[in-house]
Amino acid sequence: MNLFQAVTSALDNSLATDPTAVIFGEDVAFGGVFRCTVGLRDKYGKDRVFNTPLCEQGIVGFGIGIAVAGATAIAEIQFADYIFPAFDQIVNEAAKYRYRSGDLFNCGRLTIRAPWGCVGHGALYHSQCPEAFFAHCPGIKVVIPRSPFQAKGLLLSCIQDKNPCIFFEPKILYRAAVEQVPVEPYNIPLSQAEVLQEGSDVTLVAWGTQVHVIREVASMAREKLGVSCEVIDLRTIIPWDVDTVCKSVVKTGRLLISHEAPLTGGFASEISSTVQEECFLNLEAPISRVCGYDTPFPHIFEPFYIPDKWKCYDALRKMINY
Amino acid sequence: MDRQGQIINPSEDPHLPQEEVLKFYRSMTLLNTMDRILYESQRQGRISFYMTNYGEEGTHVGSAAALDSTDLVFGQYREAGVLMYREYPLELFMAQCYGNMSDPGKGRQMPVHYGCKERHFVTISSPLATQIPQAVGAAYAAKRANANQVVICYFGEGAASEGDAHAGFNFAATLECPIIFFCRNNGYAISTPTSEQYRGDGIAARGPGYGIMSIRVDGNDVFAVYNATKEARRRAVAENQPFLIEAMTYRIGHHSTSDDSSAYRSVDEVNYWDKQDHPISRLRHHLLSRGWWDEEQERAWRKQSRKKVMEAFEQAERKLKPNPNLLFSDVYQEMPARLRKQQEALARHLQAYGEHYPLDHFDK
Repeated sequence: MNLFQAVTSALDNSLATDPTAVIFGEDVAFGGVFRCTVGLRDKYGKDRVFNTPLCEQGIVGFGIGIAVAGATAIAEIQFADYIFPAFDQIVNEAAKYRYRSGDLFNCGRLTIRAPWGCVGHGALYHSQCPEAFFAHCPGIKVVIPRSPFQAKGLLLSCIQDKNPCIFFEPKILYRAAVEQVPVEPYNIPLSQAEVLQEGSDVTLVAWGTQVHVIREVASMAREKLGVSCEVIDLRTIIPWDVDTVCKSVVKTGRLLISHEAPLTGGFASEISSTVQEECFLNLEAPISRVCGYDTPFPHIFEPFYIPDKWKCYDALRKMINY
Repeated sequence: MDRQGQIINPSEDPHLPQEEVLKFYRSMTLLNTMDRILYESQRQGRISFYMTNYGEEGTHVGSAAALDSTDLVFGQYREAGVLMYREYPLELFMAQCYGNMSDPGKGRQMPVHYGCKERHFVTISSPLATQIPQAVGAAYAAKRANANQVVICYFGEGAASEGDAHAGFNFAATLECPIIFFCRNNGYAISTPTSEQYRGDGIAARGPGYGIMSIRVDGNDVFAVYNATKEARRRAVAENQPFLIEAMTYRIGHHSTSDDSSAYRSVDEVNYWDKQDHPISRLRHHLLSRGWWDEEQERAWRKQSRKKVMEAFEQAERKLKPNPNLLFSDVYQEMPARLRKQQEALARHLQAYGEHYPLDHFDK
C-alpha cells in the first residue's frame, strides 16, 4: 500500500470495529483531496463519513463535542497550513478538557488528521510543518509517521489513545512511499522513538519525510567519512521519547536534528535543550540543527529552502571535525 | 406572564403543578441568595473571583425545567441556575469557588467554572463561544446513538459575535443536529452594550440565515422561557434540527467581581430592571395571586435559604485545598514520565523551601 491507502486502511479498521466512529471534514465524502477516505462513505454510510462546511474551527469544535459525548471522532483538516483557525479549540479546549474538569469530562476520543510538509511546489500554504506550535501544549499528542506501515500503526494508536491526538501525514509520501502493510489492524506505540539503524559516532534525529533524508546522510557519512551514524525516527513529538534520544547521545556524543520547519523555535530546539541538560558531559560537539530557514515556505526557492542531504551532510562533517 | 405575574394569554399557560412552580421559585431565590453571599465573600477576600446571575434566573430555570434531566448542557458561565434547578448541592458550588478538596474539578479553575457529570452539565471554560460547535458535535453523537436526547447550548449575545458561534449554527443546520441554541441577551458584554455588539435584529434574526428556526422570548417570564424551550426540545428530538431561542433579559449585576458597571451605565437603568422587570418578582406575584405562596412562607424561606447557604459557606471556607500533587494529574489520562519527574522535582523543592509556600492550607 502507499501512504494514503495505509491511512484508508486504518480508518476502515476503525469504523469496522468501533460503531461510534465517524470521519468528517472538508471533502471527505467523495474520498478526500488526497484520497485518504475513498470508499468509506459507501461502506459505512453517510452518517459516518460526511462533509462539513468549510470551517476548521467548526470541524475541531464539533469533533471535540462528539468525543465528549463518548463517540470516536476522526476529523480531517485539509492541509496542516489551515489548522490555525482551530488553534483555540485545540489548545484552549481539547488539550485542557480533562485537566480543567478534574477528569469529569474529556475529549480523548478525538483524532485530528492533516496533510503535512513540503511537496515540491506547495509554497507558503501547502507545505507547512506546524508541529512546534502544538509541542508547547500539554494535553495533546502530536504524531508524524515516516512511511505507510508506520502511518497505519500510529494512526490506529492515535485513534485508540485516550487523549486528543493530532496526526500529521507527510503529503509528499502519500503516493511515493509504498511498502507491505497488513490489512488487519495493528498498533505502533506512541511516545516511542525508533532506532532505525544503530551507530557509534553520531546520532541523527528526524521525523516524517526527513527521516529518509537522514538515512541517506548516514550512508553518505559511512562511505565518504567512515562515520557510523545512529538514525532515530522520533515519531511522537509530544510527549517525546527523551530516553531513547539521550541513551543514543550518551553513546555517540554527537547529535544532529533536522526538520523542514523553520529553525527558530522549531522542535529541534526542545530536543537540543533537553539533551544538553541530560547529556552535557557526553557531548563532543555542539548539537547541530539543520532546519528550514526563518522565512515563510517559498515557492520557486523550495530546493534552496529545504534541509536537504547536502546541508545535513555538511553539518555532520563539521560536527565530526569539531 | 406580565410584570405583575398575571397570565396574559391563558392558552399559553403551561399549567404546571404547584410543586413544580414552587421549585422554580426556590431555585431562583436560592441562587440569588447564594450569589449575594459569594459575591460578598469575594469582596472580603475569601474567594478570588465571582460572577452573579442577577436578573437572569428566569432564563436558567425556565429552560432547565423544560429539558429532560439527562439532556446535556453546554454553558458559558452565567447559567448556574440550570445546575441549581438540577439540585447541584450548595456544598459543591462552594467547593468549586473555594477550590477546596471537595471540588470535583480538583481546584483547577477559577470560581463559577462548574461541571457535573451526573447532572450532565459540561464543565465551563473561560474562552467564549467555544462550547457552541462542541455542543453541536455532542448533539450529532446523541442523534447517532438514538439517545432521544437533546443538547442545549447557552451563550450570551456578545459571545454570539465569535466565529465559533457562526461555525456552530452552520454545522447544526447542515448536519441536522438535535440542539437548542439558547442565547441570553442581557444587554451587555462587560461594558459593551448591544448597540456596539451588532447592528442587525439581535441573535434570533440570524437563525433563519442558517436555516434554523428561531424565536425571541421575554427572558424574564419564566413560563415563556419554559414554553419555548419545551417546544424546541420536542421538535429538535422529533425532527433532528436545531432551534434558536433568544431570551431577552437584563444583567442586573456587574459582569463579575472585577467589574464596576457604574462606569458605563446608570444606576437608574439598573434599578429600573431590578424593580420593574425581575424574573423572581414576577414569579412571586404570580404565586401570591394564585395563593400558592404568602408573606409568611416568604419570610421563612428567606431565613431558611440564607441559613443553608451560610452553613455551606462556612464549611467550604474551613476545608483544606487539594494536595498539590493534583497540580500534575489529568493532563493526559496517564501521566507522562517527564511530567512525573516535574512532580517529583516540586516535591523535593517543597521539602527544602516549604516554609515559603502555603502548605498549611493544603491537604497532605
